[in-house]
Amino acid sequence: MRFQRLPQACLLLLTCFMAWAVGSSDSTASTGERAADFFGRHDSGSGHTNNWAVLVCASRYWFNYRHMANALGMYRTVKRLGIPDSNIILMLADDVACNARNKFAGSVYAEAGRHLDLYGENIEVDYRGYEVTVENFIRLLTGRVDPSMPRSKRLLTDDRSNIFVYMTGHGGNEFLKFQDQEEISAFDIADAFEQMWQKKRYNEILFMIDTCQANTMYSQSYSPNILATGSSQIDENSYSYENDNDIGVSVIDSYTHYVLKFMEGINKTSQTSMQDLFDSYDPVKIYSHPGIRSDLFRRPLDKTLITDFFGGVAQAEVFPLQDIVGSSNHHDNGPSAPTTRKPDTPSVPVVLSTTVISLPRLTGETHDWDNWWKEVRKWTSIFVVGCLVSWISFVR
Amino acid sequence: MRRASIWIFLACLCIPSFALYRGEIYSEDLRIQPLRDGRVSTTFSFITVLEGAVPRNPKALGQLDESQHYALFPLTLGQILREYAITELHLTLNAGKWNYDNWGHPHEAGVGTGAELWAWMGASEVTTVDERWSGLRNALSGLFCASLGSLDSRRTLSPTVAFPLSGSTPTFAPHELRHASLPSESVCTENLTPFLKLLPCKSHAGLAALLNPQKVFDADWHGMGIHVTWKEDTGVELKLTLQAVFNPVRTSAGKRRDWNLQSLFDRSIERSCPVASSSSVTVILPEEKGYQITPENPAHINGLVIYDLSSSSNFTIPSNIAMYWPSEHSFQYPLPPLTPVTPLSVKRTIHGTTQTRGVLSISVTNNSPQEISAGYLEMMPALLTLWMHTLKVEINSQIRSDLLSGLKYHPPSPQSNDRLSPSMLQAVLTIPPKTTLKLSMEVNKAFLKYTEHPPDAMRGWDLPGAVFFPLPQSSHDTSSSYDWERIYTPTLLVDLPTPDFSMPYNVIILSCTLMTLIFGSIFNLLTRKWVVVEIQE
Repeated sequence: MRFQRLPQACLLLLTCFMAWAVGSSDSTASTGERAADFFGRHDSGSGHTNNWAVLVCASRYWFNYRHMANALGMYRTVKRLGIPDSNIILMLADDVACNARNKFAGSVYAEAGRHLDLYGENIEVDYRGYEVTVENFIRLLTGRVDPSMPRSKRLLTDDRSNIFVYMTGHGGNEFLKFQDQEEISAFDIADAFEQMWQKKRYNEILFMIDTCQANTMYSQSYSPNILATGSSQIDENSYSYENDNDIGVSVIDSYTHYVLKFMEGINKTSQTSMQDLFDSYDPVKIYSHPGIRSDLFRRPLDKTLITDFFGGVAQAEVFPLQDIVGSSNHHDNGPSAPTTRKPDTPSVPVVLSTTVISLPRLTGETHDWDNWWKEVRKWTSIFVVGCLVSWISFVR
Repeated sequence: MRRASIWIFLACLCIPSFALYRGEIYSEDLRIQPLRDGRVSTTFSFITVLEGAVPRNPKALGQLDESQHYALFPLTLGQILREYAITELHLTLNAGKWNYDNWGHPHEAGVGTGAELWAWMGASEVTTVDERWSGLRNALSGLFCASLGSLDSRRTLSPTVAFPLSGSTPTFAPHELRHASLPSESVCTENLTPFLKLLPCKSHAGLAALLNPQKVFDADWHGMGIHVTWKEDTGVELKLTLQAVFNPVRTSAGKRRDWNLQSLFDRSIERSCPVASSSSVTVILPEEKGYQITPENPAHINGLVIYDLSSSSNFTIPSNIAMYWPSEHSFQYPLPPLTPVTPLSVKRTIHGTTQTRGVLSISVTNNSPQEISAGYLEMMPALLTLWMHTLKVEINSQIRSDLLSGLKYHPPSPQSNDRLSPSMLQAVLTIPPKTTLKLSMEVNKAFLKYTEHPPDAMRGWDLPGAVFFPLPQSSHDTSSSYDWERIYTPTLLVDLPTPDFSMPYNVIILSCTLMTLIFGSIFNLLTRKWVVVEIQE
């Protein structure tokens, strides 16, 4: 008996809600902004929509354990900060985790106490052993691979991808050795990056290298939007950080150790900038002079977040309609920017151009007609719901 | 009335999801066998059956395929099987040498060291078998993080007698076999990760929860296998296997051979996999007495103890299965000479001191009181050239050529891409009871091009193991000839002539220096104008 008035109350509530909804729907102008605010990027103007990481350990043999640990340390960091395994290309030239000399099978440690296993239980090594060659690395970067190459071995980036390229191994003045057999030179890397830029395969690249005379490796780069950092300057060695007596070899390099240590304090929402990372470099502790090259990079380093390269972008992108109509290259940040592409090469993704085609249908008289149809649908649905509620109440 | 209509409505909603589950059966099993040398062999098998499914007809490869909706069967693998129209697929990734003499035959026959991949495919005009084989290799290498892409024409053969179709033969097309092996492939966590992702419960529940990479890869022998077969009366069966031979005597503190699931895997089964139709742990009891097993199970069948772990049974989870020898202080290895467990034991070596030639010798011992006829298959990469005219079969230093029959030899053939295919030697050996047969042949080692050497050329090249296989049943043969499965010999490491890799640089630098010196001085002599300069004072 007590609940007899419930349907009526429900109906009343529903009507009130509808009235409020109709009232609030008048302020349609702000919804686009609000949606953009909710879904949009809150980054520092990098303009990227996806993150990739290419982590290369170029040395073979057990005594180069520390290089494997370097690359795996970076792997764990980018994975922790949100780049999924599908966007990480990990190249390990040797298998130390299941090496017969490894006392701790299936584990790789990067510190003497062996607290954190870097190999873990969930790891995907995309290129391993003999597959880690200079040819495969350059093919990976430039996308010139066999059609039957599986997706996990491809760098499927676009012009909105921020790529973190980390390399470690033994090197020298303007070269890095792969498996003690072949070398990649600074010119090769510079040309590969230029090819990637011309093919619109990246938005920004962070190139980090830990090897002897590492700073020479990025000296030849000439493509825009590359931020580069290395462990040691010319005629200077990079040293290992510490040994583990049970493993029997050095477990990590000094530079990578301090970078990873800095990264420990970073989480997905961190606002720490690349400048903070570079400020943390201490040549006394690292035993070498790390280098930074930012003349190709268009953004100020203190406005460039660590997570722009090490973290995964999780935001969706909302394009306001007028922006698409007057669409222009997202790299066009004014004529003064040294990175500006030629204006006759529009870089609007294909998906967007289809939206552009469908735009005329939405404008003009059809726009009013659409609004009217929306109203009709809204009131019809309210009517149907009201009918249902009243029917239920009558049946009771 | 209204209630009924609601129920009907709900039922309608549920029908599609039930339809998906119809015809997919998942079962899992773990076999544990204590071995006589104190080790413990464990074999996990996870079987998913797609009832009524038929492999894709390769003639329809150009057309649109039927849609794939699986509830339990892994889609990533299913897509590869459909894309390349694979009828039967076997992939094994193993590390270590299987010790047949002490451990007996494995529960899964494929124990060859390294990676081994073989597939049966129907021939068609749309795409050739070789094109699909190459696509399959690359797809699997991406799926399992292994270097299977390098199993190219230098390693591919078609040994149909030793690797027959284990399921039914489809009638839609004549079938072809492609087989390749990569003995130097390592197996590690990155291979186990995608393996576990193929299971319906991943490693969260059921027997797969035991698979701890740190323990599995610490085992004396470990390997995993992916086997897809088609049987006409059941459908497509996917069998994922993982075998590991643990050594509790090595890992335990007191050198005891006692084991339990917790000590072997450092994990326990917290809950059963809800979609598994059966889930069981089978312990094969040793022949000698003195052991105890907990929990006590009255169901002893033929020396087996079976624990049913499926959710329907009253087995309490979590539980630990343990076996211990209470009267044994520490494990004593059985004293030699030990009689091998298997009827055949095989040793294969390569001798010779030079880097250009050597002798490949195989000794096969028949441990049984009956005569055994075994197929012998050698799939040799073109790194070694076998000389057939030097082939000798001996028993006690007496030539016994009559024991060798059905000899087939395919020499290495040049492929389209300027590479040599492997050579294949296939023969039937008849080994008299309780004797050792020795087979030997001379080999030449290849002289490779400078660029064909791997980065660690000084280590040597791994050669795949030979395979001994039971012969197909003939009408008059003894019945005992088929009670064993393929035997893989351990891989061999061969030392090929290796250049001094710094030599080219030395040559280039020296010759360049000479050139500049000679050219420079002659150029100087020819072009310089000799004049007398008078110095004005």
